[in-house]
Amino acid sequence: MKFSVSKDKLLEGLAIVQNIVSTRTTLPILSNVLLQAGEGEIRLTTTDLDVGVRGTIEAQVETPGATTLPARRVFSIVRELPASEIYVEVDAKNLASIRSGSSFFKILGLPEEEFPPLARFENPKTFTIAQKDLKDGLKKTSYAISTDETRYVLNGILFSFRDNKLTLVATDGRRLALVDLDFEFPRGQETDIIVPTKAVAELQRLVHDEGEVKVSVGENQIAFELNRTLLVSKLIEGNYPNYRQVIPAEAKERVTLERETFLNAVRRVSLLASEKSNSVKLIFSKGNIDIVATTPDVGEAKESLPVMYKGRDFSIAFNPEFLMAPLRNLSNDEVFLDLIDEMSPGVVKVQGPFLYVLMPMRLS
Amino acid sequence: MDRKIIHLDMDCFYAAIEVRDHPELAGKPVGVGGARHRRGVLTTCNYEARKYGVRSAMPTFEALQKCPHLIVMPTRFDVYRRESARIRSILYKFTSIVEPLSLDEAFLDLSAHGGETAAVAKVIREMIRQQTGLTASAGIAPNKMLAKIASDWRKPNGQFEIKPEDVPAFMQDLPVHRLWGIGQKTAKRLTGSGIHTCSQLQAYPRLQLYTWFGKFGLELFKLCRGIDERPVEPDRHRKSLSNEKTFVHNLTSPAQCEGKLPELFEDLMQDLARHEGRGKVRGVMVKIRFADFTRTTVERADLPLALESFRLLLHEGLQRKTLPVRLLGVGVRLEEPDESTDTQLELNLA
Repeated sequence: MKFSVSKDKLLEGLAIVQNIVSTRTTLPILSNVLLQAGEGEIRLTTTDLDVGVRGTIEAQVETPGATTLPARRVFSIVRELPASEIYVEVDAKNLASIRSGSSFFKILGLPEEEFPPLARFENPKTFTIAQKDLKDGLKKTSYAISTDETRYVLNGILFSFRDNKLTLVATDGRRLALVDLDFEFPRGQETDIIVPTKAVAELQRLVHDEGEVKVSVGENQIAFELNRTLLVSKLIEGNYPNYRQVIPAEAKERVTLERETFLNAVRRVSLLASEKSNSVKLIFSKGNIDIVATTPDVGEAKESLPVMYKGRDFSIAFNPEFLMAPLRNLSNDEVFLDLIDEMSPGVVKVQGPFLYVLMPMRLS
Repeated sequence: MDRKIIHLDMDCFYAAIEVRDHPELAGKPVGVGGARHRRGVLTTCNYEARKYGVRSAMPTFEALQKCPHLIVMPTRFDVYRRESARIRSILYKFTSIVEPLSLDEAFLDLSAHGGETAAVAKVIREMIRQQTGLTASAGIAPNKMLAKIASDWRKPNGQFEIKPEDVPAFMQDLPVHRLWGIGQKTAKRLTGSGIHTCSQLQAYPRLQLYTWFGKFGLELFKLCRGIDERPVEPDRHRKSLSNEKTFVHNLTSPAQCEGKLPELFEDLMQDLARHEGRGKVRGVMVKIRFADFTRTTVERADLPLALESFRLLLHEGLQRKTLPVRLLGVGVRLEEPDESTDTQLELNLA
């Protein structure tokens, strides 16, 4: 195998597949990137057996072929190479010679045959979504994914393809974020799947604002094809909890808030939320919300926001991080906060198909 | 009023799942864990394997020496987690006060539950058997420590109850190392002083235990009488968090050991980020296992959570023995949560 490639292109390709490789795997081949040189292009593939990524870059291929090389090592070498053009030659024993300007590296690889193939799909269900929509949906939900490994079905985002909608849901049992994306597909394609956190994170790195993404759903796998890149992941097996039942049917009180003003106020006040209890209190009275936090033996913080509020006086406490997370990830100027009472879930809504259910904190 | 606590412990959980899913393994010695040539360690083994002296946490090569025909299966944590979740959902049918200790162990508080606790334990075990094909053992007692000791008494697939009135007699001959919180070191100190059973320990006054063990001595005074007031905490807070690695090749120089710290540290920070808000860091520690399998831990409460702190601790630890290093670990001690803190309410997900 012999090819030359521009340093920028190769770095770009390696950066795409880089995150998947593990440095402490029990299988050495999983630390390697599979390089396949074909006509005018190189395919770079990495996998950790759960998630796999394949990127394609342009190159001048003299002799086609394939090998696998230690991914992190190659990445750190390429980054440092002195010239903009890189010449790579790999012999039959998978010894790669990398030349660039005055530099010359020899790196020992492993045979291509040892590299586990990415999953193939038998009769997948396929969907085509605008990348921009998916990017937006993931941004508005992914922060709510659970990291508690004992609740493994929550360690990912639910992709529910139903009624010409893709509903994305993430929850950690304390808050839940949901986005609906409208697009058309045949009824027979309806399905509910859970895409694991790692694949979600990779997908978020890959989606752009332009173009489309082709989604293929197989038995236990999902594939995303976009921008000449393929992302394949195992799905989380199991049933996602019935998230509809935690969405309050109706609110008693609704306040409209300027998103950034509210976010900034909560952020400032949370500076004095005690580390132990980590809560901020919203105190509602006519035409006003006071946002308050107190740490015993330290002090307290308070901000008042004038709002259109005509309901009864009451107060409710939230974890400030959980309250700020959706505000940070939305772009709307206005958000609505729907509340019932101090022990019932609050809901953040916007003009559009998004909602965020958040359980309050019970104060001691 | 006496509490009614059940400690439920799945019988060689991972191995049992592997045997269930691979019927051809039935009746054969089976271990689950890392392969021999990679210096793997068994996480579990079944009773057939235990007959040969194979134990959990034993290095695979050692297990294979004891039992050459041992079948070592790779771990499938996704499957174990799924089974664990199924079992947990059974437990929640009986009470919401469930404190999972790990994938295969949990405490239940049935104090508010009328009727015979032992009968409930039997029903729970039977439901688990029917729904998962796996067997569990249970201990029933007025507190967590005794329930945990009792669950071991009739293992596998059995249960044992320590009634409140039987506690004093039960404690009499109980070896001190069975008490909660007594590790190898404390046990050695006690046996070194001729204290082997709880009744012997009971002979010492509170002050004596305090001078020996500090605060833990006061705890010990109660524990050796079978008194343990720790509540069953549905939302268990971690007391420490650590990340360790066994190396394929022993590390032979301090510089080599130091070179491994950044990666261990980075992983630890990631784990910590996941546990954000669940307890403040109260100290840092480094764990070293030497080539002769002895281990040492260096812990300091006054150092910041930084790579440099772990480097200091590492060098302190390496001075204790001039042997190659098999395993390195870095960790943090977390602050115990205060009972008076505000509680985050949970969504009612099915």
